[in-house]
Amino acid sequence: MAVTTAGGGRGIGGGASAAAGKQHLLEMREGARVISHTPARLNTAPSRAYYFYLMLPAIIVLACITLYPFFWLVWMSLHDVDVGAAADKWNDFANWIRLGRDRKFQDGWWLLLQYSAMCMVLQIGLGVLLAVILNGSRHEKLLVTIFLMPMMMAPVVAGLVWYYLYNSTFGWYHWLMQSAGILGERSILGDPSTAMLGIVIVDTWQWTPLITLIVLAGLKRVPRDQLEANMVDGAGEIRNFFQITLPNIYPFLLIAILLRFMDNFRFIDHILVLTGGGPADSTKILPTYLFDVSFQFFKLGRGAAIALTLLAVTIVLGLILVRVFQSPTAQTRPEDS
Amino acid sequence: MASSDVVRYRSPLRSLVNVLVAIFLVIYVVWTVLPLFVMFVSSFKDLLEAFKLPTVGDWSGITLFFDFTPTVKHYQSLFLDHNFSVYLFNSIVASAGSALISVVLGAMCAYSLSRINFRGKQDLFFWIISTRMAPVVAVMVPLYAIFRGAGLVGTIPGLILAYTTFNLPFAIWMLKGFFDNVPYAIEEAQMCDGATRFRAFLSILPLVAPGVGAFLVLCILFAWNDFLFASIIGSGGAKTLPVATKELVQPQNIQWGSIMAAGVVTTLPMMFLGLLIRRYLVAGLTMGAVKE
Amino acid sequence: MASVTIDHVWKYYGKTEAVKDLNLKCADGEFLSVLGPSGCGKSSTLRMLAGLEHISAGDIRFGERRINDLPPKDRDIAMVFENYALYPHKTVRENIANSLMLRGASRATIEQKVKKATELLQIGHLLQRKPQELSGGQKQRVAIGRAIVREPQLFLFDEPIAHLDAKLRAHMRGELKIMQRELGTTMIYVTHDQLEALSMADRIAVMHEGVLQQFGTPQEIYDHPVNEWVAGFVGEPPMNFVDCLIEDRGGVLHAVHPSFAVPVTGSQEAILRDSAHRAEVRMGIRPDQIGIVTGDGGDAVAAQILLTEPLGGDMLVDAAVGQEKFLVKTKPDFQGRRGDACRLAFDTGRWHLFDRDTGLAYF
Repeated sequence: MAVTTAGGGRGIGGGASAAAGKQHLLEMREGARVISHTPARLNTAPSRAYYFYLMLPAIIVLACITLYPFFWLVWMSLHDVDVGAAADKWNDFANWIRLGRDRKFQDGWWLLLQYSAMCMVLQIGLGVLLAVILNGSRHEKLLVTIFLMPMMMAPVVAGLVWYYLYNSTFGWYHWLMQSAGILGERSILGDPSTAMLGIVIVDTWQWTPLITLIVLAGLKRVPRDQLEANMVDGAGEIRNFFQITLPNIYPFLLIAILLRFMDNFRFIDHILVLTGGGPADSTKILPTYLFDVSFQFFKLGRGAAIALTLLAVTIVLGLILVRVFQSPTAQTRPEDS
Repeated sequence: MASSDVVRYRSPLRSLVNVLVAIFLVIYVVWTVLPLFVMFVSSFKDLLEAFKLPTVGDWSGITLFFDFTPTVKHYQSLFLDHNFSVYLFNSIVASAGSALISVVLGAMCAYSLSRINFRGKQDLFFWIISTRMAPVVAVMVPLYAIFRGAGLVGTIPGLILAYTTFNLPFAIWMLKGFFDNVPYAIEEAQMCDGATRFRAFLSILPLVAPGVGAFLVLCILFAWNDFLFASIIGSGGAKTLPVATKELVQPQNIQWGSIMAAGVVTTLPMMFLGLLIRRYLVAGLTMGAVKE
Repeated sequence: MASVTIDHVWKYYGKTEAVKDLNLKCADGEFLSVLGPSGCGKSSTLRMLAGLEHISAGDIRFGERRINDLPPKDRDIAMVFENYALYPHKTVRENIANSLMLRGASRATIEQKVKKATELLQIGHLLQRKPQELSGGQKQRVAIGRAIVREPQLFLFDEPIAHLDAKLRAHMRGELKIMQRELGTTMIYVTHDQLEALSMADRIAVMHEGVLQQFGTPQEIYDHPVNEWVAGFVGEPPMNFVDCLIEDRGGVLHAVHPSFAVPVTGSQEAILRDSAHRAEVRMGIRPDQIGIVTGDGGDAVAAQILLTEPLGGDMLVDAAVGQEKFLVKTKPDFQGRRGDACRLAFDTGRWHLFDRDTGLAYF
């Protein structure tokens, strides 16, 4: 089934007729980037109003809690916002101008980039390796279920557990690393040179399985006959992986990277629990800095300006992501191939 | 046919790889499970036992980890001394409330989006999905200002509304994919039989019910595990489990047993729900980009 | 080039037996077709030849060389897949050159061989395209090009033209046959379409439920099916079958049915008498081996016309004989109408009698 967006699951399979499936496939083959499959005959005037009314409540609620705050955000970024009762004061772009000489703001972006890059390399590497191993392994179901468990955990709780494990006086992982001679007397989170790594490890622990699952879904769609044709053509397993498997799972990798990248922007729960941005601001990635400015120092105006920069980058990433989402390859089901 | 069925031939290299793979898997499983295991076990340890650690390099001291007398007093103290029954209630109401609102409104909207075309639909769609992708911290700055003005900070309705910022777009986006899969012919047949449009809509609900149920659960899961919104918007009157757990971390005299117990209380229900909707999980966590 | 020997080969998937004790020998340069319905084990056989499935038991040899444990890349074979299995991210040229590149051929060799192959298949103008820009027939040619470019010792074709439309299929049948004759490479061609097998192959191996039913030239298979199953599977429109009794009437054996009694020929009688035959048999006769005329009387079998289907060059007639139905192939100038009485004349020289229990043919 080649529906462009969302949903799916086998549960609905029975509902989707073969005809609808064919239609979608057709759209896919023709390479049209269709955002929806809408029966043309539905676009007759009398019935449209009905559908708009059904749509309205959600749109209104969503506008209230996202669009309105967005304009509010822009407003705030241009004013001195007082947490007390005083009215907001126009400040001639002072919030924005300040960003230009705010070292912590620039460092925040740089650290965010570093953090994301480290997470990406580790998680994609491990995730792909794991997926390749799991694919077709005898214990695939069981192992996948085990790997799902960290993902279900609240990131804060995960952070707390790791905080406990990392602790330099009673943490078991600290003891383990010291005993193995990896770490000296230092505490991993207490040292600016290793704190970031400590957080990356927690993030990797919790979210590598997601990448594994995405890649695994991709691996199931690699057409068997292409692999076999390449084998007959003379390829061994390793060449087969790079020549056939990798190009086929490429959209899945892209989706995994983009999703994780955006999650690194979205969530800072791990950092808040583990280091709070320290030591010596070595883990103060931009969202963490934004959190501090807004909710520790309550400089909501400056926070708004920082938030807007973060939002802008996210929207660009989002646009790319939506493109990739709609690429036909990721949308075919395993049976199609 | 799955790519995994591709034939493999025996060779010495292959056997070596198999051994390495097995070792890697064992290590990875241990590394995945160990933190959860430590959390679970430590929640039954008394304060001092939780701090016991062998000397560095003393590998046999690893047994020390299991050297304790199990106690459930942390669980008792959570609910007796730390008001966790209130936080549990808050968590349930806030996440379930937001999930319900999101899925009901989302289903209506998704259904319509799936059934009609209009100019600007692409843009509307992108707007919806981008609200879901927006960084939580960035969204929270204005939301906090607005909610404070409206007196919603520290209340459960405020929290529900805050969660709806990410659950509603999620529900719309996911459910639209679901409705796209339901052929319009079913509704046409219903209407030919004399049903109203709304009845026709109701008639296809059983077809999407499993998906709607799964995404309801996913919405609950996202809301339940949230920390940032809960700690800012919910601070004060609407403390949820993750926030309450975090607040057990005091500068002095950290009650690790209680924290671990709170972690277990927070985590277990979600693990159960996650396994329940196992086959929708990947679709849900990837915004529907990937289906298993 | 090589001969292929399949020696007591079995294939199990778990407990299911897909191929049971298969023995085949394909001569060097021969065009061998493996024919059977889906699930008969023909594809498993081909995949074992290609090295894409392990051989559960038995041996396969190319020439004198046992290849059971060789991975596909070391078998020097080329295979065309049912769904073409083109590499979507590569151009036609890269698709075709892939096997040469994997084997480290020089740039000049690749260039020259690709040119030769594409000229043979007339796809020279498609070289820069990607597979999704090709029509079904073009994809097919590219898939074949990928196979022939390397000049392997054995071609394996897995229903290569099953997904083309009828007209193109007929055309490709001719082309494939010519190509194989020109290249002279041993070819094993799996199909469920008896027309493909009959028209192209030097010899056909008919398989059913994992068991080799019959192995022979197309003519042998068509004229002398060894059992009822082969007789029913090969031939279009399919053979008519009727339960009969063999009775001795006045010293001559007759095939007796409540509605008719037809004497067997002399040579057939000899076979029946020799073979301690049973009285209960099943008679099989092809639609074109029955003559039909309108009207009553005479000594031919009396029947009634149920339906006539003019097909242009031929006419198919459904005729009822008592409770039985016979399909008769005749000329389009046949004048009978639905409900008319008619008479059928069986060409007893070419009909078949089968043992009703074992299905084996007496003749």
